[in-house]
Amino acid sequence: MSIDPFLVWLESTALSEWVVGSPSMLAFPGILALHAIGMGLAAGLAAVLDLRILGVARGVPLVEFRRFQPVLWGGFWLNAVSGVLLLVGYPTKALTNPVFYLKLLLIAVAMVLFVRIDRLIRSGDATAPATARSLRRLAITSLVCWSGAITAGRLLAYTYHRLRA
Amino acid sequence: MLHAGQIWLVAAIEQHSPVATLMRTHWAWPIAESLHFLGLCLLVGAIGSFDLRLLGVARRVPIAAVHRLIPWGILGFAINASTGLLFLLTEPDQYIYNPSFHFKVLALGIAGANAGLFYLSSFRQVFGPAAELDAPRRAKVIALVSLCAWMTVIVCGRMLTFYRPGPCVDQAGVLLTCDPK
Repeated sequence: MSIDPFLVWLESTALSEWVVGSPSMLAFPGILALHAIGMGLAAGLAAVLDLRILGVARGVPLVEFRRFQPVLWGGFWLNAVSGVLLLVGYPTKALTNPVFYLKLLLIAVAMVLFVRIDRLIRSGDATAPATARSLRRLAITSLVCWSGAITAGRLLAYTYHRLRA
Repeated sequence: MLHAGQIWLVAAIEQHSPVATLMRTHWAWPIAESLHFLGLCLLVGAIGSFDLRLLGVARRVPIAAVHRLIPWGILGFAINASTGLLFLLTEPDQYIYNPSFHFKVLALGIAGANAGLFYLSSFRQVFGPAAELDAPRRAKVIALVSLCAWMTVIVCGRMLTFYRPGPCVDQAGVLLTCDPK
């Protein structure tokens, strides 16, 4: 079974045509710009939390880092929405490229790690040796996942096989 | 005069660029771009957190403690200045004549001057022995300017490809925004 009819249909929708074809700087360029800002907020704040777990800025209690989380989630949802719009614009380009699925997988794992880190921090004693060890392991994995997701995202522009259905 | 300066700069880089050959190899440009995005995240994460703290987020934490993140923001900036220079030294005409690049450099200048202003104006109040948990109003304004300036840098950077300079027809204005060749 081929997904080509679906791709053809999606590319013919008004929304897809607006994202790709509109001369407005708010269409494709604006969505890309928002996607970059959301990336900076979500991946940036997640990386800072990971660095804190690994020993940077020890004077900041881990639990206080939770105050920055609404901004991280804001960045995440901004990118979920802008990402869907970009996907609607160029569905064939993304969905026929394995690197795109790798990117999504890495982001999903990174967000699961973030939620698990947060749960450990909330559970109270983040300084207990066993908890501290788990946190460090999660933080390193998280940094690897975010770096991979960002690199995969950038490489989407260079690794696609088909631009349109 | 500025136009002549731009033309001279593009010609000088094109003739002497030490990195253009390397950057035109198959994967050099995408790798440098990926590093540029990673540096962006480091910079926004570290400097953005500090700005948010000055504005009152996590206000129970001493500002000086959050300031320990700043070296990581500087690392992000260093990564991006280096990779950015690689792009500029490879395709100078794509940047020197690009209005989006002009605004990006302007926003970078504002972000830099603003950071300098923070240390000159608020260092003692924020880091001194009598430092309070609530940042002075001046420091809050600086933090807001910093956030806006860095967001502008990101937007202008992302917009570069949509403002690529075309051939010149009738060029007026302070800076050239078209390719005179």
